[in-house]
Amino acid sequence: MRVALIALVLTAPTLADGLRAHHSTVVNFDSTREVTIAGVLTEVTWRNPHSRFRVNVTGEGGAMVEWLVEMGASNTLKRAGFPMETFAVGDRLTVTGWPGYRDRSVLLRETVLQDGRRLRP
Amino acid sequence: MLATPTEGPAQTPDLSGNWIRGGRLEFGEWSLTAEGRRELEGYDFKTEDPGYRCLAASWARAWMNPNVVVRITQTPEEVRFQHEFMDIDRRLPIAEAAQANPPRVSIPGQPALGSSIAWYDADSLVIETTDVGPGYVSTMQEWAGLPQSRRMRTVERLRRSGDTLTIELTHDDPAYYRKPLVVTLEYKKTDFELMRYDCSPEEASIVAPR
Repeated sequence: MRVALIALVLTAPTLADGLRAHHSTVVNFDSTREVTIAGVLTEVTWRNPHSRFRVNVTGEGGAMVEWLVEMGASNTLKRAGFPMETFAVGDRLTVTGWPGYRDRSVLLRETVLQDGRRLRP
Repeated sequence: MLATPTEGPAQTPDLSGNWIRGGRLEFGEWSLTAEGRRELEGYDFKTEDPGYRCLAASWARAWMNPNVVVRITQTPEEVRFQHEFMDIDRRLPIAEAAQANPPRVSIPGQPALGSSIAWYDADSLVIETTDVGPGYVSTMQEWAGLPQSRRMRTVERLRRSGDTLTIELTHDDPAYYRKPLVVTLEYKKTDFELMRYDCSPEEASIVAPR
């Protein structure tokens, strides 16, 4: 069984350009750090004020845990041309983003699909 | 000072069209009372953001949401704002200077947004709002938790310059602020169409994994 990679990296502060969650990105997520998770999509929800994935991630020791991946409003993603139709339950992907102040949550900044494509909202 | 409609023939700046949030967003200096500071310091973003219940915290909050469209439609009698954010539909009769008790308009299901009247003042549309529900001027960024009490009076001034719409909101709340708080933000003319927001509290409150 493939072990998910989870990396927590300290990065220089960056500003999200364009898309921000409605309830304030910097209030809910730590923009000074970056986390990467890999796993399987169990939910894909495109909504306003914020969209989300649920991802099952296999941690060290084989335990499966759920992460919540948050993105901007679906209206915003549509206007930006983000290929929302690309994602489906069962897909394997890697997500990199800002860790949330709630455990096992992350604001998506980049995702890498199984076919290698990199997408940024 | 209470803002009032001015005398003389009303001028009607053309604010009509679709506008999208973009450009300047500034909060002026704030000076809180002791009670206001307690409210700010006690704000818990994890549980108290009205957005989790699909409620707008304030007019400033409704205007400052990123990447939303507002459609403005004007007639001689009315100005209508169709906010994409939370699908807020605000239809304000234009008050005349001599009108004793101009009708005030509230937004059903949005208690923090109070009731408003509107009039034109030279190149600006002015909107005064009172009777707000207690809550927060902002739930975003470094301004998250700035409070508003039932005594809040907000004056919005909208002015167009080319393809930029500037909204200046002056918040006067003696319960929490020692001086008015001014928020200034911009919208840009856009070809994007207004879309439904269709917020659901059941969905909006999902912010953590199971």
